[in-house]
This record gives sequence, C-alpha cells and structure tokens, in this order.
Amino acid sequence: MSALASAALQQIEKIVASANFVTDPTALAPYEVDGLRPTAVARPYSPEETAEIVRVAAAEKLAVIASGARTKLGMGAPPSQYDLALDLTRLRRVIAYDPADLTLSVEAGIRVADLQKVLGEQGQFLPFASPFAKSCTVGGVLASNATGPLRHSYGTARDFTLGMEFVDGSGTRTKSGGRVVKNVAGMDLHKLMIGSLGTLGVITSANFKTFPLPQASGTFVISYLRLAEALALRAALAASVLSPQVLDIVSPDAVPFLDSGSGPLPAERWSVIVAAGGDQRVVERHAADIEQMAAQTGADNFAALEEAARQGLWEAVRELPATLLATSKRVVFWKISSLPGSFATVISEVDRTARENSLRAATLIRAAGLVYAALWPTEVDPEDDPATMNRLQRAAAQLFARSADVGARAVIEWCPLELKRRISIWGPPGEDAALMRRVKKVFDPENILSPGRFVGGI
Amino acid sequence: MMDPTLIAELEQALGPANVFSKPEELLLYVYDGSVEHGRPDCVVFVRTTGDVVAVARFSNQRGVPIVGRGAGTGLSGGALARDGGVQIVFSRMNRSLGIDFENQRAVVQPGVVNYELTRAVEHADLYYAPDPSSQKACTIGGNVAENAGGPHTLAYGVTTNHVLGLELVLPDGEVVRIGGKTPDTPGYDLTGLLVGSEGTLALITEITVKLLRKPEAVKTLLAVYDAVDDATETVAEITARGITPAACEMLDGWTLRAVEAYVHAGFPLDSAAVLLIEIEGLREATEAQALAVAEVCRANKAREVRVARDDRERELLWKGRKNAFGAVGRISPSYYVQDGVIPRSKLPATLRRVNEIGTKYGFEIGNIFHAGDGNLHPIILFDPRDREQYKRAASAAHEIMEWCVSLGGSITGEHGVGMEKSEMMPALFSPADLDAMKRIRDAFNPAGLLNPGKMFPLGKGCGETRVRPLPVGTSAGS
Repeated sequence: MSALASAALQQIEKIVASANFVTDPTALAPYEVDGLRPTAVARPYSPEETAEIVRVAAAEKLAVIASGARTKLGMGAPPSQYDLALDLTRLRRVIAYDPADLTLSVEAGIRVADLQKVLGEQGQFLPFASPFAKSCTVGGVLASNATGPLRHSYGTARDFTLGMEFVDGSGTRTKSGGRVVKNVAGMDLHKLMIGSLGTLGVITSANFKTFPLPQASGTFVISYLRLAEALALRAALAASVLSPQVLDIVSPDAVPFLDSGSGPLPAERWSVIVAAGGDQRVVERHAADIEQMAAQTGADNFAALEEAARQGLWEAVRELPATLLATSKRVVFWKISSLPGSFATVISEVDRTARENSLRAATLIRAAGLVYAALWPTEVDPEDDPATMNRLQRAAAQLFARSADVGARAVIEWCPLELKRRISIWGPPGEDAALMRRVKKVFDPENILSPGRFVGGI
Repeated sequence: MMDPTLIAELEQALGPANVFSKPEELLLYVYDGSVEHGRPDCVVFVRTTGDVVAVARFSNQRGVPIVGRGAGTGLSGGALARDGGVQIVFSRMNRSLGIDFENQRAVVQPGVVNYELTRAVEHADLYYAPDPSSQKACTIGGNVAENAGGPHTLAYGVTTNHVLGLELVLPDGEVVRIGGKTPDTPGYDLTGLLVGSEGTLALITEITVKLLRKPEAVKTLLAVYDAVDDATETVAEITARGITPAACEMLDGWTLRAVEAYVHAGFPLDSAAVLLIEIEGLREATEAQALAVAEVCRANKAREVRVARDDRERELLWKGRKNAFGAVGRISPSYYVQDGVIPRSKLPATLRRVNEIGTKYGFEIGNIFHAGDGNLHPIILFDPRDREQYKRAASAAHEIMEWCVSLGGSITGEHGVGMEKSEMMPALFSPADLDAMKRIRDAFNPAGLLNPGKMFPLGKGCGETRVRPLPVGTSAGS
C-alpha cells in the first residue's frame, strides 16, 4: 500500500469515525472476496458519507466492493483489486412507506426479512423470495438481481423497482426513476444497477411498489416418473387460464436437498411445485383444475400441502441454491436462461455433461425461463486436486457450448475459486459487450467499483 | 432545406420513392399528437435493418440529425425533428418476424402497429398487454422509444415490463443485439435502459416481446357519481384495500358529456364523474372482486354501479374512454393534454387543485385519467390562434406539473419528456442526475445526432416563459 493510499484510508476513517473503520485482520476476514482481503472496512451511516468515501477512493484509485449481509460476495469473477470494503448495513432506514399508495422507499442496507416484517403489519410484502432470505439486504438482492420462486408471477426487481439512488464511481450521488408507480421521466438508470454486481455504483436507497399479501394461498406438489410428463403439466398450465404464483420443477437429484422437515418430496420423482394465491375460491379452483391436469399428464402423486408443510417447502425451494452450495465446496452452480421449449434439452445436456465428467447433478426448472443446475464431484479428495479441477473445467466448457447450441445463455453463479481462475464464469462474451464497457466507463471511469467481477472483465 | 446532393445520396441508398423532400410532402411530419412542432429537412421510409444502417451512416458522415418516427401519435413531441435533419419513418418496416406460441414470444419490426400484434395472436388466446389509447394506430417501435402505457398497465405493467430484447442500429451504423428471448441475459440490462430512452441512444430495428394469455373472465363496471371527490375517494380506497383492477379510469362530468355527444357510450349526462373499472382473471376472482369494488363505490356515494352485460356494452364503454381525446377535438380548436403522476392517495386533493388552476387561468380543464395508478391527463382547451391564450395554457399546464412534483409525483407517466417537458426535468432531477443521463446518451450517441433537443433542458429558460412554437390545427388524440 502506497503512502498516498494510506493517507486516503486515513481520510476515510475521518469520514466515518474510528468506530466504523476497521483494519484489524480478523475483522476483515468476513469481507474477503475470492481470497482477496481488503485493507480496511468502512461503515458509512448516510448516502453523503458513502459518496465522500467513494470520492476519496476514486482520487487514489482504491478499489471498493460494497456489501450488505455478504451472502453473495462469492458471485462474480475474482476482483482484479480490492482495497476497501464498504459495509452498508448502517444504511437501514425506511425512508418512506405509504401503505395506502403501496409504495416504499428504503435504504439499501436494510435486511429484506426486517423489511417484510414492517410490510407484513400492513398486509403487504415485496415479492423478493431470493436465497439467504434471513440475512440478505435490499441492496445486495438488487445488485445481484437475486430472484426466487415468486418471479413466476411478480417478475424480477426490474419490474417493481420504481427508482433508485446510488453513488457512482466518482463519488457522485445520482438518482433515477421516482416514487410513483408510473413514471417515464428520464432514463431508467436504476435498471442498469440491478444485477450489475456493484460495478456501476453503490446503491444507497431504492423505491418499490409493494403488493398486498394474498388472502389465501395453496401449494400443490405433483410428481412424475419422467421429466417429459412434468413438462406437459407446465405446458398445460401455460395454456390454461390459471395464474399460478409459483411454477418450479425439481429434479429427482435435487429432492434430497429439499427435505423441508415435514417429509421430503417423493423420491426418484420429478416434482412440479405450484402455488396459487388470492381469494379462497381462486385457490380452490387452482386445486381442482391442477388435480385434473395432473391426472391427464400421468402424475403418480398430487398433494395439496397443509400450512406447515407449505411453509417448509417454500423455504426449502427458495434456499435450494444455498443448500446445494453448503453441500460441497466444489459445487459449480449454474443459471441457464432458457425458454420453456428448450427445458428438456437443457436438462439432458446438464445430465450428459455431469455423466461424462463423473459429476453429480441436481437441477431446478423455474418456468419463467431459468434452469438452475448444480454440478459437483462426489468422491473424497483434496479440494484443490488438479485432476478434479480439470473435470470441472471441461464440464464448464461443455455446458457453455451446449447451452449456446440450444439458444440458452448460461452463467456460473457460484464455483470454487480455482475454477474461476481457469475460465470465465460469464461464458463467452456477447455482441453487446462493447456497449456494456461504454456504460461502465460512464459510471466508473477510474474502474474502482468491484473491478474485474463482471461480464467481459468489467 | 437540405442540400440537393445530400437528398440525392439518400435517394440512391433507399430509392427515390422512399425519400420526401418537397415542402408539401414534409408538412404532415411537422406534427405529432402533441402541441409541439418541428420541421424535418427530408423524410425517409425504411423497410429493413440495412436501410436503417444506410441512413445512420449517412447521418454520421454528413453530420445530419436523424429522428425516428412511427405513426406520429406521440404526445410529447418525441418524434418531431426539432433541429431539422432526416426524419426516419418506420411505419413501412412493419413485418412480424416470428411468433413463438409455445414460449409466448413475438419478434417484430418497429413499425408493427400495437393492436395488429394482438390481432395476429388472439386466435391462440394470447395478446400483447400494453394498450395505449392510440393502439390501433401507434407502432410498437414508438411504444418502446417512449415506454408507452395505457389503461391496462395498472395490472400488467408498461412497455418496459414486456420487452425482452432489441436489435439496435448505433449512430455509426453498427448493428447490435441486446437482451434476447430468454430472461436474465448476462450483463447489464441494456434493454431496460433503451426502452423509454426516447430515440436518443440508438435506432431500434427489431423488438422481442412477451405475449400474455387472455383472462378467462372480464367484468367492466361503470360507477356514476354526483361529486368528483366521491369518485377519487373511491379510487384511493380501492388501492388501499389492495384490490388491483386491470384498469381503473376516471372521466369527469365535462369530459364524459363531450364523449357522450360523440360516441354515445351510455355515460349519464348529468353526472359529475364516472369510474370505468375493469376486473380480469379467473371467473371466481372477477366475481368476488367485482362485488368488492361495487361495495367500495357505493360506500363512497356512487349513485349507480352498472356492470357491462356483454362484450358489446363493454366495448362501447371503452370506445368512450379511448376516443375521449377525439371527442374533445370536436369541440375545441385545440387542446393540451397533460400527463402528470401523483401518489394515488392524493387524487382528491389533486383534482381540486387542477380545478383551481383552471379557474385562475380562465380555462375549462377536463379530467380523464388512469386513476388507478395516479396518472392524470388534464385537458386544457384553448385556441392556438390566440397567442396570449396559448401562453396561459402553457402556464396552467406548468402549474399542474409543479403540483404533481410537489407531491412526490412525476411530470410524465407515459407520454415521455420529448420536447414538451424537457425544461421541467430539473424539477425532478438534480444536475448530477441529468448529467449521468447525458453521459449515457453521449456514450451511445457521441455526436448528438440521434433525436437532438429531447429529454434534457436546453437551458433556454423555464417552461413557464418559453414561447412555444405556434401549433396549427387540431391535435390528434392519444
């Protein structure tokens, strides 16, 4: 660390006061990203402080990675540099909540779970439902575009985020959008921030549409021996007038990881999980129609879950990525964007890739257009065994190519660091990579925000 | 006037039949649906991405501005050639490039008319959700540029919620695809940035959209009120109770009388306001919600709640709503439609305020709007030949927008900023915010040749004192 950089860190310490500035190596450990440990952690209290810190960092080219609950710091490519961790958990105020308007403005460091409690008191909620739900923060969910089962009906953050304020890479506070539910004034810069993994700005607050909690809801599990039959139910539902809130398909391999405490899903079966919400009669109609569709598509089990089982399964499905990651340190966790018409092919390519490389696989289909696949070696050997890593690497190359062949776009959301060093987890760059670099340059000309973690080396 | 050698260059690239440059040919392109005007130096018609590339290269090499245009129904001057140059008209680039019924996607050229897409897929019980009032004329390309809305966006979202991918032509002629047919394509959400960028970042040559499944049941209610406040209180209560109708529209007494004289939709002439509320979904859901909505209406002193008995009655009610601007056009030399947004709980106070502003400036202001999402469309009637009156109309409009902003609202919910509201942007955004947006514009459009003079303030004075170009004739409806 140069003398100039040390002076900059001292300046940052003054901005947040010593109690909120940490350089003790043990306290820094939780902020590590891909083995890189920052020199210091700063915990700003306000957007103004956040902006001041980034300004100082930009002047001295200190690389900054912002975080909340730090549950998703493992996502992205390894950073090219990391000097300062920006911990946003003190930015956790509800700025404005107007239940009668169903609008909300909150600081980025607030925990999603805490926020849901506030909304729940008014019979409302935000349809996030992404993994790590107990600890994750609003800012982290936005920056990683983490989604969950509810995206089937509520869409993703881009669909219900009304506006945002962020600090760009020069330390300038910037906002776009607004707080009303309909607004086309100016450019939707906040859409760029969603899923940008902290490479364009530090999100300090966001405004959302909130939603009324459904009066009643029902969860149904329909199980099949074969994937084709499960997909036939998906197609039947898509062609029907029903509007399920959740439509996920769990592979037999993933079933052991969904033991929700109230009895697992049927073993050796593809299970379709459907949730319906609304008025009690709407839920009953879904139950009746889906049971009929299940019979017509050859299901060997249809279950309408009781409340306790429903809660358990919901949580288990939402947390599936986290559960799989906890299973082995060598899990490679894929998100493959694909259309329903290619689900069967994508799943068979995942299975083939796993087989050819002697890996175990578990998959989850989210009918809105995603296949999640976890692949990992089962044998016990040293974690960094080069032969194992070679297999993971070959599997990765194959699955990128095979996904592209069927019109799907694959990315690796999580994987061992050693694999990240060998391949690009973002897959081959698209034709839009140059435009993305232009966008990066606009917001972060000094390349200090999460450098190197994003698509195309951004 | 454009140099004849430049016109010849365009004629050579596109064919002489696809280039207009005579003054009488250009006249139509001076206007859109707004009160603004802007005169292009020539108009070109494109049919392929290759044509668009040729025009972009021409613009780039010659330093001539290009302004895209679909059907010209826009209400903020977004498609007007403010600084002259080439008007690139997409209305003939109107092929559907593929409908994927299984995956509920359509890929279309920008000139496809909004409603034509729904017509092309409705046999499979699918439709394209964004439904601006001008949907039988306006193009999807124009909808994408302005991030258009419509009555049913209350439940289904605006254009940006339905667009997944785009093919762009950058100002130097490079063709780039962004997004795709699948969700969550890797990298920044460039599609989300481009939708609503008002033609300032790139020319759009291909659009991939989602198609929705038609609902099983639709119930359309007409609630009739003797006081405007009761109607607005109803809307606030429907929202607060967590009922989300597919659409919730309000027409005040003045507007509904104008509409009734034209469309004969069956709006009661002696009422102070009507709400047109539509509920869609499963049979069971619509029945329950219609009962709940009717109860809220009655609790807020609706004198009558009528349910459309059949499709014909329903269509007639909607015809009344969607032709409202046309109806107003029959009774006034011109009118100025506003597009403010306020938090929905503030509707009653806002309508009272709009009324006061009308009285202050001596105008009758009609109110017709997407009440459910707080998107107001006050209509100020004026005679454009009276310059003094025109200035007063602009001042009244400005004051209405100031009120919306003061409540934490917006200056535009669906019409776009264009050249109409560009001077008002500083009321919503700080210099730093606007600078960030400008730097994005410059990153895509470095020479500023794509739709110059839009979205950002020109710094020629505020909207209140800016003397607007004198409009001629009657504006078209949205």
